[in-house]
Amino acid sequence: MSALLLSVQDLHLSFGGVRVLQGVSFDVRRPEIRGLIGPNGAGKTTLLNAICGIYRPQQGSIRLDGTSVIGRKPSDIAQMGLGRTFQSSQLFKGMTVLENLMTGLHRQTTTGFLSAGFCLRRGRDEEARTEEEARRALHFVGMSEFADRPATALSFGQQRVVEIARTLIGDPKIVLLDEPAVGLSINRLAELDALLRRIRDQKGVTLILIEHVIRLVMDVCDRVTVLDSGRVIADGAPVAVRNDQAVIEAYLGKELRARHSAS
Amino acid sequence: MPFGRRNVFLALLAIGAIIPAFANGYQLFVGNLVTIYILLAIGLNILVGYAGQLAFANAAMFGIGAYATGLLQVHLGWPFWIAFPSGGLVAAAVGTLLALPALRMSGLYLALSTLAFAQATQWVFLHWERVTFGAGGFKTPQLSFAPLPISKPIGLYYVSLGLVVLLYVFARHVVTSRTGRAFVAVRDGEIAAESLGIDLLRYKALAFGISGFYAGIAGGLYSALLNFVAPEGYDLFQMIIHKATIVVGGMGSIAGSVIGAAIIILVLELLREVKGLQEIAFGALLVGFVLFMRGGLITVLRRYLRGWEEPLRIKGGESTETPPRAAPQPSVVDK
Repeated sequence: MSALLLSVQDLHLSFGGVRVLQGVSFDVRRPEIRGLIGPNGAGKTTLLNAICGIYRPQQGSIRLDGTSVIGRKPSDIAQMGLGRTFQSSQLFKGMTVLENLMTGLHRQTTTGFLSAGFCLRRGRDEEARTEEEARRALHFVGMSEFADRPATALSFGQQRVVEIARTLIGDPKIVLLDEPAVGLSINRLAELDALLRRIRDQKGVTLILIEHVIRLVMDVCDRVTVLDSGRVIADGAPVAVRNDQAVIEAYLGKELRARHSAS
Repeated sequence: MPFGRRNVFLALLAIGAIIPAFANGYQLFVGNLVTIYILLAIGLNILVGYAGQLAFANAAMFGIGAYATGLLQVHLGWPFWIAFPSGGLVAAAVGTLLALPALRMSGLYLALSTLAFAQATQWVFLHWERVTFGAGGFKTPQLSFAPLPISKPIGLYYVSLGLVVLLYVFARHVVTSRTGRAFVAVRDGEIAAESLGIDLLRYKALAFGISGFYAGIAGGLYSALLNFVAPEGYDLFQMIIHKATIVVGGMGSIAGSVIGAAIIILVLELLREVKGLQEIAFGALLVGFVLFMRGGLITVLRRYLRGWEEPLRIKGGESTETPPRAAPQPSVVDK
């Protein structure tokens, strides 16, 4: 098991004539929390979608634990140990919280429709284990009492947490989190911060975090990659990145940067 | 839970089991029709209500089951007891193939393409005369329970009732399993489902296949019930009846499928007396449900009676009988 978990090399991706990613390269080691930041339209979500197989890049390579993922179906890449959450809540609305988590165990379980339909012993045992594990995962994120609520009855922040738990339960090597802090209150933000650290330290899962709440990124990330107009403009420790000239320019523009440095 | 699902259905089954003792020929026929439509409704509900695939080919699958069962007997001389399950498997196979377009289409587009497929099957039934005998249809061999001292209608009724019980239990177990949750995941969010490792093609194909099998088995029973197979029995109006059973009963509910099928068939038969009123009343019923009772009758039952919920997992033990709404849980330390 090498330390290098995800390696993206020279990735190019365009939609029609719009070149969204123009030679993106970065490496992620395990276990770390990697921040992925950049102005709106920098290509962050597109990069995530390319990694998890929703978009197919025209050029470049993406290797997960040494194996290329380009051209594979999203469900196959998920099977390889890549999980993700989405910008808007993607909990299954027709399920309870617990059932959502049980669905997260899909790739860990094997019961087919015949052994389920004929109620065979093996299937029933696996079902019991699935439920038990789902309850444990719910406990890990501190939401046990919501197990039997419909997913739609949760607040926005709670839905995000359940979604993270649903991804974690499948025992992924790496999880891509797309703006998990959107709309969270200050208190909730602190809880999320603690949760992300526990995921890294207790579960040993590597995280890639797209986030606009810079305070969270600076606080929790081991390393930050900055994307602007489809290119990596900085990559390093949070403090180094924050003081990087190119990064300040990308966020504030040249003129403001002058004022920024003057003050 | 005295009026829970299990008790009510067992009572209905008991009534169903003694119907042949007092029913006349017509009433027994209607009873048999109800069992057939229960199978159709369960199959369609798995595909549309659970897996969320808005397909309009169920009547065609029903026809394929009926034609396959009948034609295997007529042309190849197979006995009914082999032709009948084969008909179910043929419909399941055709259904599975229908999932291929479903991978690329959804919503209205899938509805239209499956409708086109259904029309194409009609065309084959009508015009491939050498095999299907065309518009006039054909008679199937009379089913006989020879060594047993029971008449064909009573025998067929009990076979149908037995299959309803078997396939109802099967469906309930499938939807409360990993497979059922995968269906609902595909319905509620394809991208999220894929990100959890759920293969869309596989589960769409499975839903189409299972629902094709249910429709095919229903078709085989229907051909034996009527002793006759003709194209107009499997047309668009037939499809609307199937759709109505799950809308009235409740989408995404196996129990609702049973209730919807029984009510629709009984209403249609009661209205048969008044020619012309049948279509009007039927249409009004549908509009009424779509407008005022979106979730179907099952949501009404769930509101007023305990024990009709259908979670997507096997309920563990009695502890869940009173749902712990916001009950304090001392074990949570992370808050």
